[in-house]
Amino acid sequence: MHISEGILSAPVLVMGAVLTATAVGYSLKKMEHKEVPKVAILSSVFFVASLIHVPVGPSSVHLILNGIIGVLLGWSAFPAILVALVLQGVLFQFGGVTTLGVNTLNMALPAIICFYLFDRGIKGENNFIALTLAFVCGFLAVLLSGIMVAVALVLTGEPFVQVAKLVLIAHLPVMILEGVLTVFCIGFLRKVRPEILNV
Amino acid sequence: MKNKLYLILIFIFLIIIMINILVFAHKVIIFAYVEGDIVYTESYFSDGKKCIDSKIEVFDSQGNKLLEGITDENGEFSFKTPQEEGDLKIVLTAGMGHRAEYSISADEIRGSTGLIKEEPVSLISPETSLVDLKEIQSIIEGTLDEKLKPIMREMIEIKKSQEDKISPTEIIGGIGYIIGIFGIIAYFLSRKK
Repeated sequence: MHISEGILSAPVLVMGAVLTATAVGYSLKKMEHKEVPKVAILSSVFFVASLIHVPVGPSSVHLILNGIIGVLLGWSAFPAILVALVLQGVLFQFGGVTTLGVNTLNMALPAIICFYLFDRGIKGENNFIALTLAFVCGFLAVLLSGIMVAVALVLTGEPFVQVAKLVLIAHLPVMILEGVLTVFCIGFLRKVRPEILNV
Repeated sequence: MKNKLYLILIFIFLIIIMINILVFAHKVIIFAYVEGDIVYTESYFSDGKKCIDSKIEVFDSQGNKLLEGITDENGEFSFKTPQEEGDLKIVLTAGMGHRAEYSISADEIRGSTGLIKEEPVSLISPETSLVDLKEIQSIIEGTLDEKLKPIMREMIEIKKSQEDKISPTEIIGGIGYIIGIFGIIAYFLSRKK
């Protein structure tokens, strides 16, 4: 999911950077003082999750966990993911400086879409519905990220069908795994710490 | 009591993950070395998976493309050293936005191809001994190459392992930075009110 430097064309990079900057600014304005520790912890989770590889499928892929992050953080997912990506770039050479905007957008926007789609259901009364939606949420967040990566590459000029197929097939195992992980996470939080979810 | 048990389980799970992941990073790596007049390249993802059918392009120091090719099922690709003087830049594009570069210096290429300019032999210099000297030189070079091969291999292995190791210090340090950055954000948010 980390697009390297020197691949995307300048307009795509600029568009990504501008959109990310706007979203981060908006979410920082909205962020509550009380919320900050939670954002920091989930940012750390994202930072470490990218180191966990999923050894299935044709390519090399890793956990992203943007579904969980989106549901738990809402708009604060943007600064959380941006900070983690900066550090991954500096410390592990994932991605790059110029692609920071695009990469943040690719992973944080699906997180927020999932937040708006599943927030109410996952935090609702019915346990079964909540857990089913948790799976869909984890699955969909990765799928959307994959589509956004494909779109970014296509806008730069790679052939669409080939890219889309590659990204989808490579990430199918991750989607399923993240769906299951999200179910466990949400199930655990609902039992042990319902106040995090405001159930 | 049940909560505590959960926490301990999660903690153990995290430690197991930490031990397993330390070697990996998510990027592609290309590695190249010269042997004789052939440049060998190896491409792989940082978890050790080979990059199959990935595009490799070779540029000279001015940025002109010299040749391109596709890696085989072992992630390897080799080409004959081009005639051009100067450094070579090898670029790997592995799909889904992965890209890596490796440069080989001119010295490395020339040293290995034996294109070192011959020093004028100003010994006693009768015409006959010149031939012998040349012969001796080529024999020495041949044996040296043979003897140095295992050492070169080992050097390549060491270089490779340096490329893709992530140390626990970096991971823990990174988490520290994150907490620090959000500490600063918290400070500014609290001042606003």
